[in-house]
Amino acid sequence: MNGGITVAGLTKRYGPLTAVDGLTFTVEPGQVTGFLGPNGAGKTTTLRMLLGLVTPTEGSALIGGRRYADLREPRRAVGAVLEATGFHPGRTGRNHLRVLAEAGGIPPERVAAALGQVGLDDAADRRVRGYSLGMRQRLGLAAALLGDPRVLILDEPGNGLDPAGLAELRDVLRGLAADGRTILMSSHVLSEVAQTVARVLIIAGGTLRFSGPLGELTGVRGETLEAAFLRLTSDLPRQAGAVAPAGN
Amino acid sequence: MHSLIRAEMLKLRTVRGPWLVLAAGPVLVIAGISGLVVSGGDLHDPATQAKALAHVGLTAIFPLAFGILAVAGEYRHKTITDTYLSTPARGRVIGAKLLSYALCGALAAVVSAIVGLAVAAAWWSAKGASFDWGDTAMWTTIGGGIAWNTAFAAIGVGLGALIRNLAGAIAAALAWIALIEGIVGQLIGNLARWLPFYAGQALGAGGKAMLPQALLPRWGAALVLAAYAAAFAVAAIATSVRRDVA
Repeated sequence: MNGGITVAGLTKRYGPLTAVDGLTFTVEPGQVTGFLGPNGAGKTTTLRMLLGLVTPTEGSALIGGRRYADLREPRRAVGAVLEATGFHPGRTGRNHLRVLAEAGGIPPERVAAALGQVGLDDAADRRVRGYSLGMRQRLGLAAALLGDPRVLILDEPGNGLDPAGLAELRDVLRGLAADGRTILMSSHVLSEVAQTVARVLIIAGGTLRFSGPLGELTGVRGETLEAAFLRLTSDLPRQAGAVAPAGN
Repeated sequence: MHSLIRAEMLKLRTVRGPWLVLAAGPVLVIAGISGLVVSGGDLHDPATQAKALAHVGLTAIFPLAFGILAVAGEYRHKTITDTYLSTPARGRVIGAKLLSYALCGALAAVVSAIVGLAVAAAWWSAKGASFDWGDTAMWTTIGGGIAWNTAFAAIGVGLGALIRNLAGAIAAALAWIALIEGIVGQLIGNLARWLPFYAGQALGAGGKAMLPQALLPRWGAALVLAAYAAAFAVAAIATSVRRDVA
């Protein structure tokens, strides 16, 4: 058990709508893996199934070989930033993290450390009501890092960050990956992805379109990431071979 | 479970709302007792003391609203995601909330009772009547009022977990008290005493309430409210465990 992510035959149906359709992929430790797809591709649903928030219709989503709900200390094993994660507007950033530490069995000293790691020390004692989008995003990242987890699952972590914030985020994620952690990050900002990730997963319409090293995606045809992304996710008739083999 | 309850208490202490709920009860009790005295209540009648302190039970509407916030408030602010990420065993989360909020409901009622006793004793002495601190009917009324507050806090947690939409859950609670208990209660005669707000009044006002219908005896009302709280708790846990959090 290496702390990687294993998704097999993962499917989620909402009535007649299939949001995620038989996804199979793995995410290895030691690198940042980008999780890309157009709006409505099923990214968020997939991440929520990994985290036990949404129950799959079929298939499995395992972290280090276990379902999220079966992890003994989930916050110390997995950190997550989700788009829909919120904060009570009347609670300070520091108190938000204190609550999570208490519930997650994390030593209280980690609160200050996580605030420092995302550069939020100065605003920590202000109510979240007064935070900018970028500051909320930093607080979300601090919550994910709080338990010093080996696995990070990040849904659009760069949302609302200014260029300096994005650069800091990139450095933090690269540092964590170099440390042997597993990082799965979804994003719409392809230029950001191109600078941050080593591997990419591309999904569209709930199905996997590509899984492999970034260089393999762009290198073969000398395409930009954007061109490759658009080719793989547009549902125009695809020629044979246009979809790179999945799962390698 | 211990750390979950501590986390719930920390959530409550780090925002302002709960303190407002804690303050609202005593305000209602002060207004109610002062109203009773000013409107010419007979302070020499021994039953008046219990009548005055019956206002402690009526503050139960605040723990009810407060309990609704426990889960529905987390959905509103989308903190429920983080709560379930910390504790994937959702039944334990709801259980910790039930215990924590019931305790807070009881504490709020104790504060209301202390304020109520002080205000009543002051009014009695101002009007030259003697306040009987050993009045059993008054103390059982206070005890029943605290139990009513405790049960309503737990019922609120269950209701909020079932409905999840904050405005919807508050509206449902108000509609229940005003429409079902207020209007339908008049039409179904003695069956009305099995409704939760009637049972609460039986518990907190001691059977001699301001209502025409006969109320349950105190112990019976306590059982009925406990059954309502348990039913809501079971339904809340059963649905929370299954539902997708999106």
